[in-house]
Amino acid sequence: MPDISNDHLQTYSAKGLDNKLNLTFIWLVARKEILTNFRNFRIPFALVTLTSLLLGLAHLMSLDYRYRLSNWEVNQTAPRDAIVGGVVDYNLIDGKFSYSAGVGYSPPVQRPRPFSVFIKGIDGEMNRSGIINQRINFMARQDELVISLLFDTPDTSFVIKLFVSLIALMFSLDAMTREKEAGTLRLALAEPIRRREFLPGKWLGISASLLLTLGPAYLCEILYLQFKHNLFNDQASFARALFIFFLCILYGLVFVNVGFFISILVTRTHKAIIAGLLAWATIVLVLPNAAVLATQVLFPTLTYDQFDAHSYKIRQDLREAEPATTSAVKPSIGLPGAKTTLVRLLEAERQITDEYLMGKINQLRRARLFASVSPAGALVFGISDLANTGVNDFEEYLELFRSGQLSMTDALKRRLDLSPQAGKKLVQEVIKDVNNRQRADKTPITSYLSASLPMASLAVWAAFFGLAAAWRFKQYDAR
Amino acid sequence: MFRVILQRELHEALKGYTFKSVIVLLTLLVPLSAYIQAVHYRRLVEDYASRQNIHRVESRNEIVVLTRPVPSLLPFFNGVYENRPNEFRLQRDSALVLPSSEDLAPLEWLFPKVDLSFIIGVLLTLMSILIAYDKIAGEKARGTLKFVLSFPLSRRSVLLAKLTGTTLQLLVPLIYAVFLYTIVLIFFSYKEMTTLTVSWAELGALVLTALIVLMVFALLNMAISTTVKQSSTVMVACTPVWTAVVLLWPSLGLYAASSLRPIAVQEATQHQITLKEAELIQAELADHKEVAAGLQTQKAGVEVAWERYIELRRRWMGRRNDEVKQLTDERRRQINGRQQLARSIVRLSPYGALKDILGSLCNTGPDSYEDFLDAVELYYQQEFLPASMAHLARHKPGLNNTNQNDELQLRPFQVPSPSLGARLKQAALSLCLLLGQIFGLLAVCLFRFDHYDVR
Repeated sequence: MPDISNDHLQTYSAKGLDNKLNLTFIWLVARKEILTNFRNFRIPFALVTLTSLLLGLAHLMSLDYRYRLSNWEVNQTAPRDAIVGGVVDYNLIDGKFSYSAGVGYSPPVQRPRPFSVFIKGIDGEMNRSGIINQRINFMARQDELVISLLFDTPDTSFVIKLFVSLIALMFSLDAMTREKEAGTLRLALAEPIRRREFLPGKWLGISASLLLTLGPAYLCEILYLQFKHNLFNDQASFARALFIFFLCILYGLVFVNVGFFISILVTRTHKAIIAGLLAWATIVLVLPNAAVLATQVLFPTLTYDQFDAHSYKIRQDLREAEPATTSAVKPSIGLPGAKTTLVRLLEAERQITDEYLMGKINQLRRARLFASVSPAGALVFGISDLANTGVNDFEEYLELFRSGQLSMTDALKRRLDLSPQAGKKLVQEVIKDVNNRQRADKTPITSYLSASLPMASLAVWAAFFGLAAAWRFKQYDAR
Repeated sequence: MFRVILQRELHEALKGYTFKSVIVLLTLLVPLSAYIQAVHYRRLVEDYASRQNIHRVESRNEIVVLTRPVPSLLPFFNGVYENRPNEFRLQRDSALVLPSSEDLAPLEWLFPKVDLSFIIGVLLTLMSILIAYDKIAGEKARGTLKFVLSFPLSRRSVLLAKLTGTTLQLLVPLIYAVFLYTIVLIFFSYKEMTTLTVSWAELGALVLTALIVLMVFALLNMAISTTVKQSSTVMVACTPVWTAVVLLWPSLGLYAASSLRPIAVQEATQHQITLKEAELIQAELADHKEVAAGLQTQKAGVEVAWERYIELRRRWMGRRNDEVKQLTDERRRQINGRQQLARSIVRLSPYGALKDILGSLCNTGPDSYEDFLDAVELYYQQEFLPASMAHLARHKPGLNNTNQNDELQLRPFQVPSPSLGARLKQAALSLCLLLGQIFGLLAVCLFRFDHYDVR
């Protein structure tokens, strides 16, 4: 430890071995770690890699966002008339028949969220249009790239999840093994510096190295997005970006502590790297996916086909119950009992739709809960909630359909008591109203509250591995 | 001597913690993933059957719904099967082949489904690095390489022995993963009508493809290992390469293709098609109006009018089909152009190539989806539309010759199911790229190892 001068040693001796931590020593160890990471080009390498990745991917994601925004704009400006067409009657001397033809315009699309440039989350799914009527039909996903869902979306969440964790491990995995291999750890521990000063010093050095990498890279991305998309034009957006950064740092610290723990546990750098990579693969790739898979097994939901089959069964049951009145799907209102049947059918359709939508929401909530147990799952769900592209917003999206269908069901029921013209007018008005609805953003407070569970999970993981590292280092036999 | 080196390699691998950790990790993840896939597959098959029942009862003479059957190897690789519409509605009165409503799958945007392609392409490739990193650099660091090279054996044979050892070490977890996956899958997917059929040849092709992918990473390791002196340096060099090639490149490639080949937004094309169809419908209605007025003036009967009406319908339907098809074909051409570019970029990554090959092998890739779309188009043009128009022509209104039991008779819709050879042929380009990477890396290994200075 050449940096520890005699003055420091004298100060230390004068103070004696009291319980107070000597911050100078901690800082010295931390500074040495940061300088080492600069000298071996790790910080410059990580900074350049992370900055180029974040900027490059932000550029690609901004093109994707513009494309989706332009798609929404075209959809909004297109006429919303239900049908374009007409009827021609053939009136002949011995009879008549008619011909009708028409075509409908596209159903409405929801506006993509500006933060989806940053963290796309589930926003792609929410770009799907839907037809709201007696029942809801979800249209196909956008057709640009069939294979896009085979791989992860390369947004900021992707970079943080995979690369920041690896960079954190790169800084921490050999922090101790390096010293053990060179024999400098023994030397350092022989100096009048206590283990509980050396350990925080090292940890601080590694964490500061990570911060020196992630901070400027993140700032560059924010500036790029601000200049290109004016994304952070209000305080709320800025606060969201800050919260996301805080979550990313917390996530990075989990891996700093994991790497640090491994580095204390093993003696050789290459073994630490193997253990670190296995831990990384388990934490980042296996655990969140396993949690999501487990949710799907434990809480299955209705598929659209099952929902369709239920709906079909309801129609069949009603047909069988009242064959005289419902000879076709659309019963004649004039027949006795037809109105009751139609109301029952509408109510049954609404109930089964509610069940389908609630099933999706509940599964998603549980997946968030389960996946939040792992750091990568917590990060993905946490930052997508903060970016308004997560579970909360998907709930809002489905709520839009649910409330739309409720309005439609109500209008279709009320139509039965009106004259055909008045009924048609009422239904058209409700269709227009439903089609013009756009989902509202969740308030920042709701997003922060949703992100609190992932934050707590990350803090627990970081604390667990931090304490494990401290405990292990206390037990470490320098001989 | 070759056998001695090989035995030593295998003995060391079996003794090591890495190999055991790989087996433990696979034992945990593979059954879970296979179980989910089995349940998912069973549900898809049941859904398909229930959809078929509904369509059989509800389909009318003017509307027919075509559904894509569930590929039997889907649980091995889900591919794009569920990302695109698998059901289309053919209507006598519309030139558009419309997709039916689809299920919501929000979780897939956050966590793509874990199937065998993920286990092989991500986890096992990472394991291959962990297994192979120490092969040469470790011996250099320990000084045992000098000793090995002093044997009466050529350097190439030493390298070949090490490579064979590595291949066998990779083959064991690979075969374990594939067979454990298959057994769990077959066991849990069995339920009345659900039968998962997988042939030994298909399993063999799958294992071979996976082994080729794993070999690329093992050889990459060895190539770096022959160049540097420390095992930790091999790991430090290999990890970023693996991350870039497996995790970054395929995701990046897709979005890069979108920016390199921009196309019109979907809504714009959709709007253009709707406008075109609306314009044609207006013209058709005007034509009908004119003919109807003429027939009324001529005091014609239903018999004559019906013939004119059917002739008009046929003519306008043909025109609408031609003009709308031009627009839809243009859209499909643009999408396919972008798709091909994306696939070409993605294929350069061994993980991307693996998914591409598995897509062809399991009939769940973009090629088989294109085949399905072609089959739907062909069925609409050649089967449904002529039969539907003929059926309409037979049903003259107000005349007693209308037979109520005259149902629309159509041959069953069939999606082409290519043989294993044809599927492998589809995957030839990706396979060639992988083999090219193997030979390239092998050449580097041989060159570096031949020039290794023992001093």
